[in-house]
Amino acid sequence: MTRMLSKTVVALAAGILLPGLAFAQEVSQERIVKGLGKLTAAAPAIDVEILRQEAISGGDKPMSALPNWKRIAKLPQMVLEINFENDSVAIQPKSYRTLGLLADALHHPNLWDYKFLVIGHSSATGDEKHNLELSEQRAVAIKEALSTTFAVDPQRLYAVGVGEHLPIEGTDANASNNRRVQLINLGVFTKKS
Amino acid sequence: MLKRNLLVAAVLVASLVHTGEVSAQTLSYADAVTKLADDCGADIQKLCKGLNLGGRRIADCLQQNAAKVSPTCKSSLSAVFQSIGQREHAQASYEQVCQRDMSKSCSGIKGDGFVLACLVKKEKRVSEECNQVITDAGWR
Repeated sequence: MTRMLSKTVVALAAGILLPGLAFAQEVSQERIVKGLGKLTAAAPAIDVEILRQEAISGGDKPMSALPNWKRIAKLPQMVLEINFENDSVAIQPKSYRTLGLLADALHHPNLWDYKFLVIGHSSATGDEKHNLELSEQRAVAIKEALSTTFAVDPQRLYAVGVGEHLPIEGTDANASNNRRVQLINLGVFTKKS
Repeated sequence: MLKRNLLVAAVLVASLVHTGEVSAQTLSYADAVTKLADDCGADIQKLCKGLNLGGRRIADCLQQNAAKVSPTCKSSLSAVFQSIGQREHAQASYEQVCQRDMSKSCSGIKGDGFVLACLVKKEKRVSEECNQVITDAGWR
């Protein structure tokens, strides 16, 4: 297969957006559990729609420059990579494992009390509106796969696509590693009745 | 009710072990879907183009195209989803199954992660059912 495959990276939010955020490093369930479990203070309440709007109107400003995003930018996070078929929400079979590792981690007692924001990103190449839609659909696809195939309670997961907005700091906005899906620990999950 | 469920689960596990379809130890979600990708990846990309892992779409698609699916994939498919189901069941029933052991061996410990760590550490004193659930849940 020689055609271009679009790449998406899943970032799991843990700690600070470190400049040294390691992409596509060796992932393991243990690593995800450790990375995401280190919530040391109460997470702020968030409104997904406000975050979406703020990201879109924020242009190419980084997360730390937007007031609502800034509030969650320091929550636990780490980076994983998930590959999608080109221009599609279908996750490539070779990335099933990464999603499975994420599912294993979310089912671990150290993490099962927490809820997470799944953020879809795209690179800055191509049509802005299309990028925005595709990133949203991919974030939703990840949430759906986690909550159906892997039985993660869907109420623990929020999905939002920000397209080419909110580029990762310290990376090239056009680089493929900027097409990513990010997960942020949003704090303790209390079941809605 | 719980006891009956456990019995059913035990019988199910025993029969699975006997038929040799899956081992007593469940696969992690990661290992299960890695097997799916390894054995069915080519079939998925050929027969289920654009479909995603969520909502049983891949499993359904492979079943609907059973005639065209490779034998290796066919034999893995049931094992993979059986293991995922078994692990889900173990994770969902853990708190109930291990309740007694929690209050007997790990009382006073706060936090789900620490309670689990305690049960794992005291494996020898923990009931067989609870140990089995922890193993099947993949938390050892």
